[in-house]
Amino acid sequence: MNMMFKAFFKKLFGAKYERLARAPFLYLIVYLGLDLADFHITVAPFILYLIVTTSTAAVMWQALSSQENAAAIQNMWMLPFEKKPFLVSYTAVLGIYTFLTKTAAVLAVLLAVADWKIAEVLGSIVCALHAVAVTAAVFAWRNIWHAVCVWMAVLFSAVFFFADLPWFLPMIAADSAFAVFLLLKADGYCFYQPKSSQKKLRKPHRHFTMLFYFFRYLKTHKNYLANTLMMWCIACVLPLFFRQTQTLFAVFAGFAVLSLNTPVCILLSCDPALEQAVRFLPNQKKLFFAPYCLFLFLSSLIADAIFLCSLQIQFGGVRMPLAAAAVGFALQSALCSALLECFCPVRGWKIESDLWHHPRKYIVPAVMLLFAGAVCSFLSQIHVIH
Amino acid sequence: MGTTLLHINRLNAWYNREKMVLSDFSITLAEHEVTGLIGLNGAGKTTFLNVLSGLHPAYRAAGIHFHGHPAKPRHKNFKLCRYTVFAEDASFQYFTFREYLSYVFSAYQKKAADVSELIQGFHFEPFADVLFKDLSTGNRKKAYLITAFALKPELLLLDEPVNGLDFESTEYLYQQIAGYKQYGTVLFSSHILESITLTSDRVFVLENGQIRQTFEGGQIHAAKIREALHYEHDV
Repeated sequence: MNMMFKAFFKKLFGAKYERLARAPFLYLIVYLGLDLADFHITVAPFILYLIVTTSTAAVMWQALSSQENAAAIQNMWMLPFEKKPFLVSYTAVLGIYTFLTKTAAVLAVLLAVADWKIAEVLGSIVCALHAVAVTAAVFAWRNIWHAVCVWMAVLFSAVFFFADLPWFLPMIAADSAFAVFLLLKADGYCFYQPKSSQKKLRKPHRHFTMLFYFFRYLKTHKNYLANTLMMWCIACVLPLFFRQTQTLFAVFAGFAVLSLNTPVCILLSCDPALEQAVRFLPNQKKLFFAPYCLFLFLSSLIADAIFLCSLQIQFGGVRMPLAAAAVGFALQSALCSALLECFCPVRGWKIESDLWHHPRKYIVPAVMLLFAGAVCSFLSQIHVIH
Repeated sequence: MGTTLLHINRLNAWYNREKMVLSDFSITLAEHEVTGLIGLNGAGKTTFLNVLSGLHPAYRAAGIHFHGHPAKPRHKNFKLCRYTVFAEDASFQYFTFREYLSYVFSAYQKKAADVSELIQGFHFEPFADVLFKDLSTGNRKKAYLITAFALKPELLLLDEPVNGLDFESTEYLYQQIAGYKQYGTVLFSSHILESITLTSDRVFVLENGQIRQTFEGGQIHAAKIREALHYEHDV
């Protein structure tokens, strides 16, 4: 077990476990920075638990379904292995990875911006561990989906109806123990997901269309498509958050938030073979990067259009200049994202989750926010002059 | 040797500055010839082909000349004259072969060619309209090889072209490589001695990032090359 644990651990944290120290150190800096900034908001403990649980579960699921894991450890699956040590080692390493590199970031932000009691901090850690155990168990038994659905329905009901009761955390701990029990009963191969090789014949196309290529990319990765749809849902509800601050900057900030559609912005980073081909073939600015930029622009523009429609339905006041601004911001985010992919693609990632949560994704929204600030201050100065 | 197509003088390439992969490596390729590169693992074959493909930026050379003019592997004019089939490639996974072919021809600013003969030769008919991501390693290799031979660049670079191919396709590949001389020059690396002896006009044996021995015309015999490789191994 020790050997298996070490092998998985080194794969995710580096040969000398360098990431084990680097990630918490980075989050400590984030925590101290936010704490020193003295930015405070009020967050209910239930919201803390909910955010920690959902973010941990999402990242854990992504880590478990990562194709890179399957490729990297298929050799281990070929060797004779003891079921329980394998299950414990594999899920424990992914759980530690999820907690230290992703949940810790969420905790660092939440703990810095609100005041918490020790019991609530411990509660959030229990929730994160619970999310890891339950996600691993659900993943392992996903084929018996109806039983899993019943379990999840009971769990969610318990969480929503009894969250304020004192035995909420013991209940979560008991459910974690149940999840671990289920996990140990699972088959080790349930975590192995070889690539399916269905040879689907396409309608013959003699000529290429890059937009088809990008749509197929989205269609093949259902989670990418789900993320895009989620961005559009966020675009629908975003005006609600700006109810109190109906300023032009808030609308521009909305455009910036909606440019955070990570999976469409990492096309080259997530596919090193494609990056190699784009680098070695001639005329790729015209053939690849221009259509890619157009695709990003369309993706951003649709989200911005939904946001503006929602804003118009809820509060009214959307005029042509704002629509033109949406086009400008969508174009800006598409250009920045394409340039980032061209000149500094993310390399050296271990599993897809690293790619999704790489800090590079905040560069484009940050640039857009700066631009929004500059435009707003310019407009206000003109207003003062007139 | 005929008119010089490519001349590389004292090329050094590295991944880590302390250990050169190619060290003062010089080579001259003639127009319309087939050149084979052979060497043990780590000799520098793939690194050399990657430098020429513009994918390995860590290199320095006293001179790279193409048709007698200075050339840069990442320059558009040089790119338009060469095409590479990599040992392992999984690019453009969401294209079918026909779409990829059209894409590559557009990239090289050429009119699409008739590839029916090549498709037939490589037994690729059932896979021409299947997405690359759904193809096996061998069939993907065939797709890139068909594209290369249809494109007919002046300099065709093949890295381990035989890997993953079935017996019949391998035989057909040998014919294509040997017959390519009428269109341009082929530079290919291989671990399969037969692929080198059956097709090459010249063979370079690589050792520790340098050319240790060259075989030409009548000198190209499997036994001699094997002897050179054994010597390299013993050393």
